[in-house]
Amino acid sequence: MTIGGSSASHRPVGPNVVRVALALVVAFAALAAGAGYWQVFQAAPLSSAPDNPAVVAAARNVVRGRILDRGGRVLASNVPAAGGGAYRAYADASIAPLIGYASSLYGTAGLERAYNAQLTGLQTGDPVADALRKFQATPDDPADLTLSLSLPLQQKAVALLGADRGSVVMLDPSTGEVLAMASTPTYDASAIADPATARAAWAAVQANAGHPLLDRAIQGLYVPGSVFKIVTSLAALGSGAITPSTTYPQQPGAERSGLVISGYRVVDGHHLFTGNTALDFTQAIEVSCNIYFALTGLAVGGAGLAAEAGRLGFGSPLPFDLPTAASQVTSGGGNFGGGFKDPVELANAAYGQAEVLVTPLQMALVAAAVANDGVVMTPHLVTSLTTRAGVRTVNPSPWRDVATPVVANEVKTAMEQAVESQWGHYFTAGAAVPGIPTAGKTGTAQLGGSGEPNSWFIGFAPVDHPAVAIAVVIEGGGSGLRAAALAGELMTYDLKGLGS
Amino acid sequence: MSALAGTRPAARRPAIGRLRPRFRRRELGLLALVALALLAGSLSLGWERAGRPELAGGGLLAIYLGTLALVHLGQVLAGRRTDQVLLPVVGLLGGIGLLMMIRLPQDLVQQSFGGASLGLAQAQLIWLVLALVVAGSLAIVVRNDTWLRLYKYTWAAAGIALLLATFVLGRNTNGATLDIRLGPVSGQPSELLKVILVIFLAAYLSENRPLLAERSWLVGPFRLPPLPYLIPMIAMWAIAILIVVVQRDLGAALLFFAVFLLLLYVATGRGLYVVLGLLAFVAGSYVAYRLFGVVRERFDVWLDPWATAQGSGYQVVQALYAFGRGGLLGTGLGAGLPSVGGQIPLPEVHTDMVFAALGEELGLVGILGVLGLYLVILERGLRIAASAADDFRALLATGLTLVVAVQALVIAAGNLKLIPLTGITLPFVSYGGSSLLANALVVGLLLALSDRGVEPPPPPRAPGGRLARLADRGAR
Repeated sequence: MTIGGSSASHRPVGPNVVRVALALVVAFAALAAGAGYWQVFQAAPLSSAPDNPAVVAAARNVVRGRILDRGGRVLASNVPAAGGGAYRAYADASIAPLIGYASSLYGTAGLERAYNAQLTGLQTGDPVADALRKFQATPDDPADLTLSLSLPLQQKAVALLGADRGSVVMLDPSTGEVLAMASTPTYDASAIADPATARAAWAAVQANAGHPLLDRAIQGLYVPGSVFKIVTSLAALGSGAITPSTTYPQQPGAERSGLVISGYRVVDGHHLFTGNTALDFTQAIEVSCNIYFALTGLAVGGAGLAAEAGRLGFGSPLPFDLPTAASQVTSGGGNFGGGFKDPVELANAAYGQAEVLVTPLQMALVAAAVANDGVVMTPHLVTSLTTRAGVRTVNPSPWRDVATPVVANEVKTAMEQAVESQWGHYFTAGAAVPGIPTAGKTGTAQLGGSGEPNSWFIGFAPVDHPAVAIAVVIEGGGSGLRAAALAGELMTYDLKGLGS
Repeated sequence: MSALAGTRPAARRPAIGRLRPRFRRRELGLLALVALALLAGSLSLGWERAGRPELAGGGLLAIYLGTLALVHLGQVLAGRRTDQVLLPVVGLLGGIGLLMMIRLPQDLVQQSFGGASLGLAQAQLIWLVLALVVAGSLAIVVRNDTWLRLYKYTWAAAGIALLLATFVLGRNTNGATLDIRLGPVSGQPSELLKVILVIFLAAYLSENRPLLAERSWLVGPFRLPPLPYLIPMIAMWAIAILIVVVQRDLGAALLFFAVFLLLLYVATGRGLYVVLGLLAFVAGSYVAYRLFGVVRERFDVWLDPWATAQGSGYQVVQALYAFGRGGLLGTGLGAGLPSVGGQIPLPEVHTDMVFAALGEELGLVGILGVLGLYLVILERGLRIAASAADDFRALLATGLTLVVAVQALVIAAGNLKLIPLTGITLPFVSYGGSSLLANALVVGLLLALSDRGVEPPPPPRAPGGRLARLADRGAR
């Protein structure tokens, strides 16, 4: 059982020592790489983290930079406090969920939180300047932020939402600049920042059942309903699963009794207009045909739909100045492709029901993708930072290429028809900007239960050279008509030169 | 005696009385560089604090540099041909640690020492001086290794007794029983234990090396290592690990385990041991994760410290913030570690987290330098091992070197969130007497071993031998 080693020869340990030495050198190299990762690549995000003690300490002593809108209107400024120092004051409540607050009692939120390091002058955003700054006499250099936001447009959006809960996101599809980003209800951020009124204002905000601190535009997750058909369209046309002339022979017949998929019945309400017409792609968008898009979703397949949605930004937070919630096409875990459970879920998701959840910003990007020939520009809010050291401008940058210009144009045509054509008129007419060709898509998102559906609209105008893309959601707003009308009024306000 | 090429006859060396000093130019030159670097650091710190050029902690630094010079002088007078790089490197690491202790709030430590109450830097200086004296003395005095190799089981027993003492005399800090307290002095026995463990392993492995390396035990088609020969060693190791785990000293457990595996590999050259050891480590870690809340918490914090940034993840998150604030060049000594409400935000900044503090104030450049110093120690130590005259000395030098290098790796990687954070000191830099003295033993023994191997026992003719003379003088 035991076999002795034959020789008593004595091998030196030298080679083993060398191998151990090599292993440890590799380990030390890994340490050096780790240190480089944190100290170079992650240095900026770590140093600007809101709970970094350097940021907290600076925020206590420094007079914060101001925040301005695209026209130079002051959104956030400083009021000298009675006992020295200063506290924040804000233009009005319409910007509150977006700008947030900076309070000595309650910390920071919104843009005040995300840009705390820059507003307190701890960081300029320029790594070279940051590295050299420590050699200067007064290292703190608070930045003034200039936003792409338009205050009048923002106020108009909030006024149009009125007492309803909801959100409006409006951006320039060719640059990604956010022009308005409303979330209602809003709150009085100035009262939270003012030490004299902070406690009462905070208690009021906390007691409000509408959760005003939630920025619905980027953190609210909604069932999209029919506006999601634009995502399905991009996936289907892009993959060649359909062409604009595709029709489904079984579709007209299924309109009356519903389309049965694995025992589940997909229903529509437009056969009063369309009768026995077998709809093509453009007509299906005009009348928002659920059955057409259920069949199209099945033709694309779960993996294809999920992939296109992923390119548009679904599945992970969006690149933006503020933290965003991740939109989803499915809760995942299924093995029918793309995480879908079965054909029923996929068919329902294809027209924006099932487990699809979106943020208003995400849907604004979908509209912007169509408007901008398939190229999604990185959405952004801060356009420049002004410090003593100079002005740093945030230039527009393309983020994703999600569709070919041909496909984008096919969808664009259909969305224009949805607003301007005779059939579409019944659903979407309110969105039309007088005298300017407008494109769009409504949504009526069924939530289950007995409540009123959420009213949705996404669109853009002018069709030829879009200047604005918009997403509107109104909680419990009923059919898409309400959101379409709001969008039309807001785009008119902007394009007629009133909002800039 | 003819002076052939390359050999320098011993008789040429100048003699002062009975001493035969040997000048150590390389060591002296390097020590001068160390002094310059430390003075520059002190100046930088003083300038940052006072706004004008002045030395911070100049008196403390002078005492430290003076001690280094005296230890150097001792080596010169002893006339041994020992390594000339280790002392300056260790001296620089200790000096960087001292500067950091001067820079940190002094009330982090209140030590009473002979009636006087000492702050952080003063206490650290005393430990550093003691450590340098211990290392320097060992380098001169240790000329025979039989007392180390013969009594290996005695060493093992002493080590275990030491650990058991922590149960009786121990104090509980941060959920771990680490300290024993005797009168005014408290210490962490696991620091001393690591040196004892290495001595035992080196003695045992060198004695049984042929068996371990070449015998195989055939069970069916499998060639297994000769398990019976491993039992005493594994038992010793298991007892140490068990006690350490029971005391929740995870850093020491990880260090012991790594050094044990590496030494076993060096002695036998068998990768199988390493594979088995790593499997045992994974299994043990899993069991520990299920059984011990401390382990689970450390592991979860490692995966996502931000999930508990205000709770158990606070220390790790704050360390990363410190590294981030430091960036490439660092904030400069004294300009980092922003205090909010008078508190430095990094708990245990002077012991477990000192690497993060260095990362903030000296930047990536600074900590790469510090890591480089440990690599130099690694290189010198393993060079001593590779040129040692026999297996015991080779294994002892390897083990001693690994103890320092692996310990630096474990805590630095913990600070950088590359592995879960375990409480253990950064050798020669962190505050703490036990750690400094234990690492001084390591350096002292390494220096002694570097003397082209320790001299053989004096031949019987030796009334004129140096040892006999020393003994003679001691008797007088």
